Amino acid sequence: MSWEFLLDQFATQFGLWWVIWPAILLGIVVGILPGFSPQNTLIMLLPLTLAVPVEQAMAFMIALYCANHLAGGIPAILVRIPGSGGAAATTLDGYPMTQKGQAQQALVLCFTASVFGGLITTLATLALLPWLSQLGLYLRSVEMVIVMLFGLTLIAVIAAKDTLKGLIAGFFGLLIGVIGTDHIYNTPRATFGFLELYDGVPLVPALIGLFAISEALVMLEEKMIVDEAGRKRALQARWADTVEGLRMSLQKWWHIVWTAFVGLFIGIVPGAGASIASFVAYQQSRLWSKNPEAYGTGVPEGVIAPESANNGVTSGTLVPTLALGVPGGSTAAVMMIVLQYHGMVMGPRLFATDPGVAYGVFVSMAVAYIFMIFTILPLARYMSRVVLFETSYLAPIIILVTIVAAFGERQYLFDMALALVFGVIGYIAHKTSYHVTAMLIGILLGPLFEQYLVRALRLSEGNLLILFSSPLGNVLWGLLVLSLVLPLWRGYRQKKPLPREED
Amino acid sequence: MKQKAPLGADLVIPALAAAFGAYFFFSIADLAWEAKANGVVIGAILLVLVLAQLVRIGLRIRAGGADLGFEALISPRDALPKRVGLVLITIAFIATMHWLGVTLGMLLALFASLWILGVRSRKALVLVPLAVAACVYLLFVAALQSDIPHGPVEWLLEKLFP
Repeated sequence: MSWEFLLDQFATQFGLWWVIWPAILLGIVVGILPGFSPQNTLIMLLPLTLAVPVEQAMAFMIALYCANHLAGGIPAILVRIPGSGGAAATTLDGYPMTQKGQAQQALVLCFTASVFGGLITTLATLALLPWLSQLGLYLRSVEMVIVMLFGLTLIAVIAAKDTLKGLIAGFFGLLIGVIGTDHIYNTPRATFGFLELYDGVPLVPALIGLFAISEALVMLEEKMIVDEAGRKRALQARWADTVEGLRMSLQKWWHIVWTAFVGLFIGIVPGAGASIASFVAYQQSRLWSKNPEAYGTGVPEGVIAPESANNGVTSGTLVPTLALGVPGGSTAAVMMIVLQYHGMVMGPRLFATDPGVAYGVFVSMAVAYIFMIFTILPLARYMSRVVLFETSYLAPIIILVTIVAAFGERQYLFDMALALVFGVIGYIAHKTSYHVTAMLIGILLGPLFEQYLVRALRLSEGNLLILFSSPLGNVLWGLLVLSLVLPLWRGYRQKKPLPREED
Repeated sequence: MKQKAPLGADLVIPALAAAFGAYFFFSIADLAWEAKANGVVIGAILLVLVLAQLVRIGLRIRAGGADLGFEALISPRDALPKRVGLVLITIAFIATMHWLGVTLGMLLALFASLWILGVRSRKALVLVPLAVAACVYLLFVAALQSDIPHGPVEWLLEKLFP
């Protein structure tokens, strides 16, 4: 990657300002809505992103994704309702700042930490990408099978509250992903007699059903996404002292940097998303603080740490997606689907065949963050009123519009019905805590998993022991087993009664 | 008295997974090993996991801490008719799209959805479906020119604005 190439990429991305700016505005609006995740927005806009050239589609999705991560902190600070899981930790000190009459300072801290945290980690990822992208070259079919199982297991262990339920969801998704004809003989499997399933389960309807429709069905349980007290608080949200907030951010610049890297490293691990990163960063910030007892009462570091990590995750999540073809999270999965739709093949080859797209993704992210700081500061006060929508309007609009979007990929009415079926499955999974992200990633990895597994088994003439034949693979197996056993052991230790003093 | 956890709902996903796994095994029974290897590996692991969940729930029920209730799935009960209504309207929306087209279908489906969700403001019942249907028409029909089913509204607009 030369400097000319990099500068050319930056120039190209700056030229896409007309795509990036609307995406930022949209990302901010939907980011404020609790329970309305970036992947849902991207799914709703799939007809648009699938129709335009891949560079524009990626610039749009990346800007929306980053803005969405940032905006989740607005309702978290103003009304103690996180707009996304990644902003949950922001409520701990953000809302007390609002209660102390420092809402504006807290918002500015949130924006600067998000933007500069995201920007720093994006540039660091860009610098390290030539090495990170080579990672895939050391992974052959055997290792890839284990990497995929490892990713799925990590999602089940870290993201899902219940490991067993997470694993069931993941493997159920993996089996659904195998529906369709096999790679070698083209014989149909488990298609329920539908010709539309011979090419496999279409990903867009699966995504729409599992995320958007299921969440809309759950959303109906409340009249509004904020309660009456939250509504009143949102109506009273006002601008105060922006300059004071900027000054506080400057004083804590090192805090922004190191907590952003916490987010980056956690983001690279598939399944460990923004929620985990922001809580880990908050916990670490408190651990290293000279004044830990002040946390929870409205300290600036308590807003900076989770928000910086929350946006540090954005670039980290895309590393395994592009370098290995294993999405680091559900939003990355949506982006991967769009890239695949445009004919891109994920993995190290992408950096050689389509460097403009592979590196452009991160350049686009850096440019989006630069645009974002100028957009967000004057807009936040007015955007925060989005939380006042009633669910009786939101839920049907989400369901009906996303159902129409399900038609977009293959132009089959069948896909709309399929999205509804996945919506009902997703709803059941939501209500019973079977992790839908694990299920989705299973569906996404299903065909790829089969390809690698069959390739490995053909080499060994059907002997499954080939999966234990590689040193790197065996290390990965060990880590996989450890990731399963450690939480069980920790759970056992916590349940074990403490010995009595006289013992 | 301590309330028992209703774990019947927790069995729905494992039951679906097991039923699908069984159907998958049935559908690949006569195929070459390359075509069924993946299904066998994943299906076998899935069935073991489902069995582990069954044992776990069984043990909790035996210990008296849980029962086979479905409360987790249907609570809160007042939202259930709305939810079912919304799903039925969506089914009707998809089923009638061939005749009504996407724009008119969206208008009627959204009107019906808002009505069953308790919206009674005439202004909202007219303006929200009209605005959303117009956006859907502009995006999917006018801008993207997708092959989504056309109905009377699309034909009329096509005649008016060729």
